[in-house]
This record gives sequence, structure tokens and C-alpha cells, in this order.
Amino acid sequence: MKRKFYLAFLLIFILLQTSIIQVKAAEIDYKSAEFKAVASQFRCTCGCGQDHYECDPNTCSETKEFKKDLVDMMNKGWDKDKIRDYYVNIYGEEILTAPEKSGFSLTAWILPFAALGIAGAGLFFVIRKWVKRNGPEETAAVEQNIEEEVEDEILSSLIDEERKKYL
Amino acid sequence: MYLFSNATIYLGLALAVFSLLIITLGISTKNQKMVNSGKGGMLALLICASMAMLSLFYLLGTSQFQYEYVTDYTSSELPLIYKLTALWAGNAGSLLLWTFFLTLYAVMIAFSRKMKGNPMIPYISAILMANAVFFFIILAFVAKPFVLLDTIPAEGKGLNPMLQNPGMIIHPVTLYLGYVGLAVPFAFAMAALILKNADDFWIKMTRRWTIVAWLFLSLGNIFGGQWAYVELGWGGYWAWDPVENASFMPWLTATAFLHSVMIQERKNMLKVWNISLIIVSYALTLFGTFLVRSGVLTSVHAFSNSNLGLYFLIFMAIAVIGGLYVLMSRYNLLKRSAGEFQSLVSKESSFLVNNLLLVGAAFAVFWGTIFPLVSEAVRGTKVTVGLPFFNKVEAPILLSMMFVMAVCPMLAWQKSTVKNLRKNFLIPAILAVIAMALMIALGMHKAWAVIGYGIISLLLVTHFLEFYRGVKARRKMTKERPLVALYRLMIRNRRRYGGYLVHLGIAFIAMGIIGSQNYDVETMKTVPLGGSIELGDYRLNYERLDQKKEGINDIVYADVTVFKNGEKLGTYQPEKVFYGNWDQPSSEVAIISSVKEDLYIVLSAWEDDGKATFVVKINPMMNWLWIGSFMIVIGALFAIWNGKYGNVTPRYTGVRKEVA
Repeated sequence: MKRKFYLAFLLIFILLQTSIIQVKAAEIDYKSAEFKAVASQFRCTCGCGQDHYECDPNTCSETKEFKKDLVDMMNKGWDKDKIRDYYVNIYGEEILTAPEKSGFSLTAWILPFAALGIAGAGLFFVIRKWVKRNGPEETAAVEQNIEEEVEDEILSSLIDEERKKYL
Repeated sequence: MYLFSNATIYLGLALAVFSLLIITLGISTKNQKMVNSGKGGMLALLICASMAMLSLFYLLGTSQFQYEYVTDYTSSELPLIYKLTALWAGNAGSLLLWTFFLTLYAVMIAFSRKMKGNPMIPYISAILMANAVFFFIILAFVAKPFVLLDTIPAEGKGLNPMLQNPGMIIHPVTLYLGYVGLAVPFAFAMAALILKNADDFWIKMTRRWTIVAWLFLSLGNIFGGQWAYVELGWGGYWAWDPVENASFMPWLTATAFLHSVMIQERKNMLKVWNISLIIVSYALTLFGTFLVRSGVLTSVHAFSNSNLGLYFLIFMAIAVIGGLYVLMSRYNLLKRSAGEFQSLVSKESSFLVNNLLLVGAAFAVFWGTIFPLVSEAVRGTKVTVGLPFFNKVEAPILLSMMFVMAVCPMLAWQKSTVKNLRKNFLIPAILAVIAMALMIALGMHKAWAVIGYGIISLLLVTHFLEFYRGVKARRKMTKERPLVALYRLMIRNRRRYGGYLVHLGIAFIAMGIIGSQNYDVETMKTVPLGGSIELGDYRLNYERLDQKKEGINDIVYADVTVFKNGEKLGTYQPEKVFYGNWDQPSSEVAIISSVKEDLYIVLSAWEDDGKATFVVKINPMMNWLWIGSFMIVIGALFAIWNGKYGNVTPRYTGVRKEVA
């Protein structure tokens, strides 16, 4: 009898537990970070030009349904990549807000950096070429004797005097 | 009125063609009289464009619904200011505004005191007139502003309520001033190439005009973002929409030009590159217009789709091909005087890296913007390239740009030695590292944010040191008080210190962007009357839901009392406005702003029992964006202000003077 009671208690407890979980799960905040991570991947096709995170469910019936579906999937424990794959399978890449990082669309991501890299390397070599062209004279000029230094000092004090007039 | 207003357009076209032809003729026959006559024509053209503007203002202001444009964009109950600003709500009107600015700039240059006697004037005028001819052709035959309707409607369709906002009054105006402004450096560049003379005078004038255009372009973008933030109820300010990209790209390339032209000034190098940057910036403004007006890409900036875009594409092609032709034909001349670099690490090379990054960023934006078209052409799938793409791709590029910006002022011209580097960088680097460590200790764990703020700290320190060292050096000689020394230091080097002010502005904007992008929190909750929403330190008590009428609009609003850490901040009213002549309602958000963060409240929906749904968002550091924007304006104005000292534009002493 006691065992049965415990069993019943356990059963009730489990039932309660799941109902609590369900209530909690249904309450995913449409503006929370976790929902954003999922919903901002998808483009709303109602013509608003926004993604399903931004699009207002009060004015757009399409996003209302879409958001519900997303929440259902999230409650099933699907992560954002799984949900993403699910929709891409149905609608194709067009539904995403950013191109996939595979296939031809990968060029969208890579080309800017590739161009920067190549141009950067080119720039490096060009500057080095310019520097080399100019190099030897430069090192020769570094050597200075004391006399020159004294002359320099006199010269700079003269320049300073002149400059003060213009301040 | 119909006759008059249309006459202004057709007469304008005739005048533009006349001026273009007579100036060209004047140049080729070296006849000063003809050039002068052309200048007179330009003045008349400005009058025509002004009259066209005034007529349209008059028609809009007095609600003459027999005109298609007035019917399409206004209604009789609209406040006067929005009736007038409806001038730039549609295609035809906004192009008229564009044309007006173009003629205004052209006259300003042709009759400028500084340019008096300069042989570049006829060339610049001719190039600007070629632009004007194009725009008048568009106004006369494609997007006509003054079209009569067959039947006179009793009421107009009204102005999109989204556009009824102070931000929208000024955003298009500044943006167009920026767009048109870039035609001026282009004209200067072409004139210099044709005359085979890109001297110091040319650099100074071109840079001034580029700064003017750049400033307006910045303002246009900032006002646009500000408008989006307060008006769209979405809590953001930049969406990487094709139209926004279209105005961002020329901004980037113009910024690149403003920096690389300094190398030309000092070392007489990069001439080809600089002129290319000008051509590209100008072409990008036309390309942007093509994107916006053609409807090839979907955009939130709804301009009615028309074949207008095609004309812009053709015009752009002509301008670019023409520009490149002139550039190529003078290539040897420009290339001949290439200078030298003395070190890999120097201010010069940091400017080149700056250019690389800015142009790279522009290319990335360009590539992302056209990628949907590329993808469709290559494999038939029209993908969307949206916010996540641009944020991911642009963030590292622009952050590196910030780093270069932080480092550059400390690098010496010619050559930076190790000793010099250590002397200049040890303190800023240590301070930046301490700042980053502090951020991590205070609980910031997002790598991008910490790196970003670290770089900004470095930038602030290096720029502070620039000011500090300048003042110190000055005081050593003059014994002035610090503030006096600072003031005199700055007004005697307007360009340099104006530039630094702009840098600081950019740093503040970056602070705002990093803060609001990484640390925003948002919630959407439905609460009963008397219920409350908690978010961060804030508690919002929903007290009342009511309705009021303003003109033909119905407004539903909620009273929300906001507490921060238990302290009452006040009662705010987020609204939902239902327009008498527009289907879509819009949200008037309540924003509680402070230096630290913005609390952004949107009334999203409600039910009969008084339950209401709110979207509440905390946007950290938003105000820094606006403070930074303000600094940019101050800095740019400071740099181009005609001071008494230092930046006197040299009188023209160029090669040949046949006609001017």
C-alpha cells in the first residue's frame, strides 16, 4: 500500500513537473537573446524586409505563425542549427538573412577578406620597393660628427627664434 | 502656374545645354566672352531650379491636388511643414531637390572669390553642367514633378506617416547635399587632369569640397539612423539595407581620399590613386541612386520602382568611362612625379593601410550589396545578404581601421624608429591594456566588445597625448596659459586638430555602436492593467490605457511609470498611432535617455480587457552615438573654417591661363 502511495505520489509529481515545464517552455520571450539567435536567421517574406525576430507579430500574420513554429521547435529541444537546416530544406537558402557558409555562397564571405589580404600583401611589397629604392642614401646620412651637431643646434635655435614670431 | 512650373524645367534644360555647349566652345576657341556667357547661363539655371523648387513648394503648401505629385504625397490636413517637406518624399521631387543643389554648387564655384581667374573654372563648370543636363532631362522626360491629373481628387493620398518626423525633414536634404557634393571634387579632378595640373591649390580646393560633401553625407546617415531609432520602433539605427549601403560606400571612399590626399600633398605621390578614389566616390553616389530607384534589390526604403534607375546606370557608365579615359590619357604625366618612402613604419604607410582598410570596407559593403544579384546570375538563387553578414564582415575591418586611427597620430612622418615607437606608444599601450583588464574584471566577457573598447581607449589616449604634447610644446615657447595655448594651437592648425576632433567623434560613435550591439537586452511581455515588467535595473508599472484623437488620427497610448533601482523616473506614454489616411499604424516610442543607456519602450498591442503587450529594450551607450556625431560636425566645420592663420588657400599660380 505504501509503495502504491509512493508510486502515485511520484506519478503526480512527474505530471506536475511536466506541466510546469510546459508552461515555462511556452513562455519563450519573443525578444529574448535565445529567441533572437534562432529567429534572426530567417527572413520574413511578408514584404517588411525584416527578419523574423524584428518583424512585429501584431501587424504581420506571417511572422506570428512562424514565431509559434519556432517556439515549438525550441521546446522540442532543437538548437538553432537544426531549425535552420529544417527550413533551408523546405524553402532553400532564400529564407536565410545571410548566405550559407558553403558552396557558392561561401564566396560572399571570403571575397572581401581575400581581396583585403591580396591588396594588403601588394601594398606591403610596394612600400618595401619604395623604401629599398631610397634605402642606401638614408643609412649613409645617419653618421654625424660633433661639429655638425653644434651647427645643428645653432640652426635649430635660429629656427625657433623665427618660429616664435609666427606663434 | 502649370505653364510656369513646367517652363522652369524645360527652360532649365535649354539653359543647361546652352551653358554646357557655350562653355565647351569657349574653352576650345579660347574665347572668354563665351565662357562668361556660359557662367551667366549657370546663374540663370540656378534661378530656374529655384523657381521650380518654389513652385513645387507653393503647390504642395496650398494643396493643389490637380497635380499628381501633390495628390500622391500630401493631404489637406497635413501640417504645413510636412506638406512642404513632401517635396522630397517622391522620385520627381527628390530629383528636383538634387538638381537644385547641383546648380547651387555649380554657381557657388563658378562665382567663388577664391577661384577667380582660375583656368579650371570653365572645365569644372562644363562638367557640372553636363551633370545638370542629365538631371534636367530626367526631370523633363522621366520623373516629371509637375504633371496634371485628368480629374481633380477631393483629397490627397497623404504622406507616409513614417516620414512625418523632424528627422525626415532634414535627413534627405543633408544626404542629397552630400551626394551632389561629391560631384564637385569629381569635376575638380577632371578639370585638373584635363589641364594637366594637380597642384597644391587643386588639392586644397578639392579637399575643402570633399570635406563639405563628406560632412553632409555623414549628417545624412546620422539623421537617417536617428530617425530610424525614434520612429520605427525597432530599437536599431542601421540595418545594412541596400540604400544605407549605397550612402555608406561613398562615405568610406571619400574618407579614404581625405587621408590619402595628404600623402599627395607631402610627397607628391598617389595622384592616380587619389583621382581614382574621387571617381569611385562619385560613381558610387550614382550607383546608389540606381539601386534605390530601380528596384533591382528589395529595400525598406520604398521608392516607387521605375526605369529611372536605368538612366542613372547609363549616366554612371558614361561618367566612369569618361573619367577613366581622362585619367588614362594623363597617366604618364601623373606617374612621373612619384616620390619615395623611407620606412615601412611611418605615418605615410599608416595612411596607406588606412586607405586599404577603408576601400576594403567599401568593397565588402559593395560585394554584400550586389551578391544577391551575383548569386541569382550564377546559380539562379536570389539569396538575402542582411544584417548578420555585414556585421560579421565589417566588424573586423572597421575595428582594424579604428586601430590604425589610434596608432597613426603617434607615428612620425618619414620614419618611425624603435626608440620613437617606444617613447610614443608605451604609455598609451599600457593604459589600453589596463583598461581592457579592468573591463574583464568588471564582468565584460565578450571578446569583441573588450577588444573594441580597448582600441577605443588607445585612441582616446593617443589623441589626448597629441593635444597635450602640442600644448606643452607651445607653452614652452610662449608661456601662455594652458587653455589659451590649446586654443591657439588648434586655430593655427585647423585641419589637423579638426581632424582629431572628428576622430574623437568616430570613437564615441564606435563606443555607442559596440555598447548597443553587444549589451542590449530586450523583452516582450503582456501584462494586465496595474501589472509590471522588470528588465535590468528597471521596473515599469503599466497604469493606464487610453485613446485620444489628434486631427484625423487616433492615438492609443499607455501610461507607464518607470522606476530605476526603486527610484521613480517619471511617467511615460508610448503610443500607437492609427492614421486617417494610412493603413499601417506606427509606434511612437518612449525613450528615457542617459549617458549610460537608453530605455526604449514600445506599446506593441492590447486586448479588450486592458492587457497590453510592451516591448522594452535597454540600449547601452546610445547617447554616445549622438555625442560623437555632434563632434564630427564640430570637427569638420573647424577644419574647413576660413581661419586667419595657416590655412590660407594659395592664389592660383598655375600653368596656362587662356580662359577662366
